Amino acid sequence: MRLNSKNWLTSLPQPSGTLSEVQLRGREFLFSNDLPPKNNESWRLADYEKLNRFLDLPVSNDSFLDSESRNLWPEVASGAFRVVLGPAGECNSEVSLPVGFRRLTNPEIEQMLGKTLDSCSCKDSWSVSLNHALTSELLAFSVSGRNLPPMELISHAKTNELCPTRVLIVLEENAELELLQVVLGSDFSAHSHLVEIHIGQEANLTHGLIGIGNNNSGFMANLAIEQELRSNYLFTSFIQGMAFGRVEPRLVQRDGQANTTIRGLQIAKGSEQLATHSSICFKGPNGTLDQLQKAIANDSSHSIFNGTIDVPRVAQGTNAEQLSRNLLLSSRARIDAKPELKIVADDVRCAHGATVSQLQQEEVFYLRSRGITSNQAAKLLLDGYCQEILEKLPSNAKNWIISDECKLII
Amino acid sequence: MTSRNAVGELVSQPYKYGFVTEIETEKIAKGLNEDVIRLISSKKQEPEFLLNFRLRAFRKWLQMKEPNWAELGYPSIDYQDIVYYAAPKQNQKKSSLDEVDPKLLETFDKLGIPLGEQKRLANVAVDAVFDSVSIATTYKEKLAEDGVVFCSISEAVSEYPELIEKYLGTVVPPGDNFFAALNSAVFSDGSFVYIPKGVECPMELSSYFRINSGDTGQFERTLIIAEEYSSVSYLEGCTAPMFDTNTLHAAVVELVALDEASIKYSTVQNWYSGDEKGVGGIYNFVTKRGLCKGINSKISWSQVETGSAITWKYPSCILQGEGSVGEFYSVALTNHFQKADTGTKMVHVAPNTRSTIVSKGISAGKSSNSYRGLVQMGPKASGARNYSQCDSMLIGDLAAANTYPYIRSQQPAASIEHEASTCRISEDQLFYLQSRGIGFEEAVSMMVSGFCREVFNQLPMEFAAEADKLLSLKLEGSVG
Repeated sequence: MRLNSKNWLTSLPQPSGTLSEVQLRGREFLFSNDLPPKNNESWRLADYEKLNRFLDLPVSNDSFLDSESRNLWPEVASGAFRVVLGPAGECNSEVSLPVGFRRLTNPEIEQMLGKTLDSCSCKDSWSVSLNHALTSELLAFSVSGRNLPPMELISHAKTNELCPTRVLIVLEENAELELLQVVLGSDFSAHSHLVEIHIGQEANLTHGLIGIGNNNSGFMANLAIEQELRSNYLFTSFIQGMAFGRVEPRLVQRDGQANTTIRGLQIAKGSEQLATHSSICFKGPNGTLDQLQKAIANDSSHSIFNGTIDVPRVAQGTNAEQLSRNLLLSSRARIDAKPELKIVADDVRCAHGATVSQLQQEEVFYLRSRGITSNQAAKLLLDGYCQEILEKLPSNAKNWIISDECKLII
Repeated sequence: MTSRNAVGELVSQPYKYGFVTEIETEKIAKGLNEDVIRLISSKKQEPEFLLNFRLRAFRKWLQMKEPNWAELGYPSIDYQDIVYYAAPKQNQKKSSLDEVDPKLLETFDKLGIPLGEQKRLANVAVDAVFDSVSIATTYKEKLAEDGVVFCSISEAVSEYPELIEKYLGTVVPPGDNFFAALNSAVFSDGSFVYIPKGVECPMELSSYFRINSGDTGQFERTLIIAEEYSSVSYLEGCTAPMFDTNTLHAAVVELVALDEASIKYSTVQNWYSGDEKGVGGIYNFVTKRGLCKGINSKISWSQVETGSAITWKYPSCILQGEGSVGEFYSVALTNHFQKADTGTKMVHVAPNTRSTIVSKGISAGKSSNSYRGLVQMGPKASGARNYSQCDSMLIGDLAAANTYPYIRSQQPAASIEHEASTCRISEDQLFYLQSRGIGFEEAVSMMVSGFCREVFNQLPMEFAAEADKLLSLKLEGSVG
């Protein structure tokens, strides 16, 4: 049991607003389950010491994010618009949203909130409950129409605080959106993020998630996504610099016949532990999945990938592919990968693959034989390795990624 | 248009080894405690170190919990409701086959394993185990000419206690897991093989396990030691009668390969799998592990798993010697309500070790077939390589195929490749074969056999043909 966990829970601000009931429920859950169960497969490899360190941080209630931090952020891409999340943000404020975006009314929120979590069966997951317990503000909106301005959702956890954020997005039928989420973590900060997205029929969503930390940052993100018929969803995640980083995308194709593309990259160095636990379930026929997860582990870091694909009997005609590619660059680092297939339907094509290795010596040799030094060759290869994922991020993501980042890991 | 029922019917062949041999058996009372272990040990006139080994294992077992991570969903087992020792009544191990109860010889005849001098299989030495004891071992003398020891483990305990004491429990320690601990406490018989330095075993060695009593658990233990520059190929077969209760089988197999030695271990597992409603069948919990202790040693597991109501089995290799090689080739077929959770572990400890995993799962009926495997590259395993391939074939839309590969690497200069796919019998291919005048059932079994070819190629020749036949028999009635 965590030291002072009960004190910590009681020291949290009183539940208030739309989420007060959810907060109470989450706190009750944490009261009896103060840490995630170690015998649960998805937490088996988690570094509890790091997790503990972040959980003891005070929850941020400061509604002021200094302009200095904001000034460091890149400009909003032309045509795009930005919303800042968290206590320092604009969730509940009267900041108006562009045409095509509409804040959900309280009765709508009541009706929709938690529904996608239910369909993705992650309502009782520990990290979701943690977010429930902490978050008091919610950004909830619906999107309709096409050719909308790209959206940026930014949240920034400052030093010595735990920043909880929650978003609910409903994409109406035929809607199309490009959404970029950026999570920034200062030294000794933590972030708990929960996003629920419902994608209506024939809607398209391009979704990017960038998590960039600074030394001792912690980050836990839960994504619950529900896709309706003939919808398309592209999710790209990039995580770096988090001492403890954990992304859990859970997706359900409600009636099948939808397309899902997932791209993920995590770069771990120092003593960081970065993990992706994805779960995709097809609840109808003829759905497709194309998933590529990449990881780089350097120094004494630890990278984890756990990916489940669930194809029950109703999901005939599913075509799912999952590939986990990992680069292990140091003899003190460690990589764990577990791609899982659970299949009952018989008329399906499912494949998964996983590789763990260092840079291919033949490739390095090829470049060196053309007069490129081995360091440059390695950098070039790593850049190329990362680029395959990064280029899938929404177009306005470029400004957020420090271009020479790969240098740091060589 | 192919009819599903026809493929379905192709898998449901009656189990032809389901008969019971009426023979007088000596059984001890049901239940498990230290006295029972002492009794088993004294019946087998074991030296003290072995009794201590058993007691140590039992005490560990008492503190252990039955594992529940495998998705097998069987009802809980009452370990006090099992007979831990049963033996056909005979005074002592017979010096010649003429003295063995003819009923027993007849049983093995019926199973296609004739033990009599004239009829015995040419060039295959057989150790036949009936319930808890070994009945006979053929070609012992001929093997002894080359210095090869092939006998039951009880015999080895009395004749080669120093080898048993040196190696028993070194690969699978008594407290390794719940079922291994149980086996270490109560194991009754099994085979022992010792191949001396530089000897290539002149014939295939084989053991045949037969469960006869319905309430008796079978706990056999096999130990194979291959000294430097030696090699051996070992086959294992198993059957059991049809009972509508479940019978427990918890075995341990330990292999040790020293420098440049090679061991090939093949299994055709055909325990009774229960009827089409899922009643009865063997609960098969097996711990098999090989230690590639010497440099350039090699251990190869090949298995065809078609029987048992529940299979929980992960033949593994610990690649401790530099340049050692581990292989795992498996075909697992499940039908009706069978559940199999099987796979392998390849633990690369030393540099330049290599491992290959080829696993083929076929699930039909309402069965569930899981591959669960671990590939681990330790910090010192530079230059190590692994290649894994797991393919599943689904027959019918009620069967489940799951894949859980665990991959862990701590060595940058090691490489792991894993791939898995799931498919079903393709209608196009069936149509193609049928349009060329090949009957439906034959076409299906050709395709299944093609699907498993990579694994069958690894089996000793006599077994490969048998496995192919077994698979098509088992498949009868399930494809459509």
